[in-house]
Amino acid sequence: MIEIRDLWKSFGDKEVLRGITLDVEPGTTFVVLGASGSGKTVLLKHVIGLLRPDQGSVVVDGKEISSLRGPDLTDARQVFGMVFQGSALFDSMTVFDNVAFPVRERERRIPHDELLARVIESLRVVDLGEDVLDLWPSQLSGGMRKRVSLARALVANPKIVLYDEPTTGLDPITTNSVDAMIDQAKERRGVTSMVISHDIASAFRVADRLAVLYDGRIAAQGAPEEVRHSDDPYVQRFLSLWFEKQ
Amino acid sequence: MGRIRAGFEDFGEQVLFAGEALAWAFRPPFRFELLLHQAAAIGVGSTFIVAVTGLFAGMVLALQGNYAMRQFGAEGYVGGFVAISLVRELGPVFTALMVTGRSGSAITTELGTMRVTEQVDAMESMAVNPIHYLVVPRVLAATLMMPVLDVVFTATGYLGGYLIGVYVSGIAPGPFLDHTRSMLEVGDLEHGLSKALVFGAVVSLIATYRGFRATGGARGVGEATTRAVVWSSVAILVVDYLLTFISIG
Repeated sequence: MIEIRDLWKSFGDKEVLRGITLDVEPGTTFVVLGASGSGKTVLLKHVIGLLRPDQGSVVVDGKEISSLRGPDLTDARQVFGMVFQGSALFDSMTVFDNVAFPVRERERRIPHDELLARVIESLRVVDLGEDVLDLWPSQLSGGMRKRVSLARALVANPKIVLYDEPTTGLDPITTNSVDAMIDQAKERRGVTSMVISHDIASAFRVADRLAVLYDGRIAAQGAPEEVRHSDDPYVQRFLSLWFEKQ
Repeated sequence: MGRIRAGFEDFGEQVLFAGEALAWAFRPPFRFELLLHQAAAIGVGSTFIVAVTGLFAGMVLALQGNYAMRQFGAEGYVGGFVAISLVRELGPVFTALMVTGRSGSAITTELGTMRVTEQVDAMESMAVNPIHYLVVPRVLAATLMMPVLDVVFTATGYLGGYLIGVYVSGIAPGPFLDHTRSMLEVGDLEHGLSKALVFGAVVSLIATYRGFRATGGARGVGEATTRAVVWSSVAILVVDYLLTFISIG
């Protein structure tokens, strides 16, 4: 479903991605682990066409995202939902308008009652009630913002959801519920998920397959247990810090 | 040399941005509710400040006109002088400068903040083109509302000029109004309004482009806003000269 081949990207003199190749199978959750500054967000932005590679390709559902432009690229994004690191809620819109936005844009003649029902249902999935509908993003806590962002990403029933550090800055309980939501989206709706994170515990909980990104390259990839026992010295060092604590 | 080259590249990107906005303007869906919202924000929101500046600009013109023309015993022509100055030049230029300061800066700040907090990326990720959704309504609204505001500026300016000319400088109302009618032509109105239309497009395209190019948090948004105001002001005067040259050159 998502095929990334030999992806290279530089900003000025700095090479951020250096030949990334990976596949994400339909209906699975793929986690890219890596330290801050390892190029994870840059990789994710290539998948949805927010950045263009210097070399290589990204193919989603048979369409080469990396070569599309203008309206063709906009159309190709219909299959995606994305949760941003900082939530990226529209701060001039209420929670209702934020969550309703992707539905309104895709189904412009949708009756208000139906739209309201879908927004409420989507908020319920992330454990939020109708009492938040009229709140502004600035009135929400960080965890609530993340959950509204997740509701917005899921409301239009996307086939693929991209998560940029979905658990960063959240308390352990909210982190667990975000992990559960990622699993629910996969199990109930058959959603394909690509998660980038430096949260090792969360990554091993939700991943069907996992890759560790280091210095713009993939240091290891495979099933979580395979990656855990990787011979790569960086991967061993990166994971051991956490596993030794457990 | 590096800065000159960067300047040309920036100008080229601005032109490409304008071309992209133009292409998206003719593509459905047409979001009339956003257009009306922006027209209200730019047009209605700027009416008071444009009227006040127009009033005082007209009053100053009447004082200066009377000072210059009484040396030739031609005070009666002050009405025509005020009207032509406002309609052809001061109306569109001052209106555009006021809209730049009030609405152009607000547009850059809003879009710049959306850019640096990834709201623009979020919109793209939801298969909504941000130029289509954010830029097109603002550019169309500014282009349509600028001539309306120009009319407000010119009308209040002429009123101010009349009040000062007649009640302060003592010019007889008859000659003041007669010379306005005899000197002002329909072509002057067309000239002024077409300038306002072009200024509306130029100011809003610069403001939206600068907002979209903002990087690096609050400081970056501030710098983008400063650039938008400075370059819009320069562009207004340069385009004004070019349009005037084409018209009467």
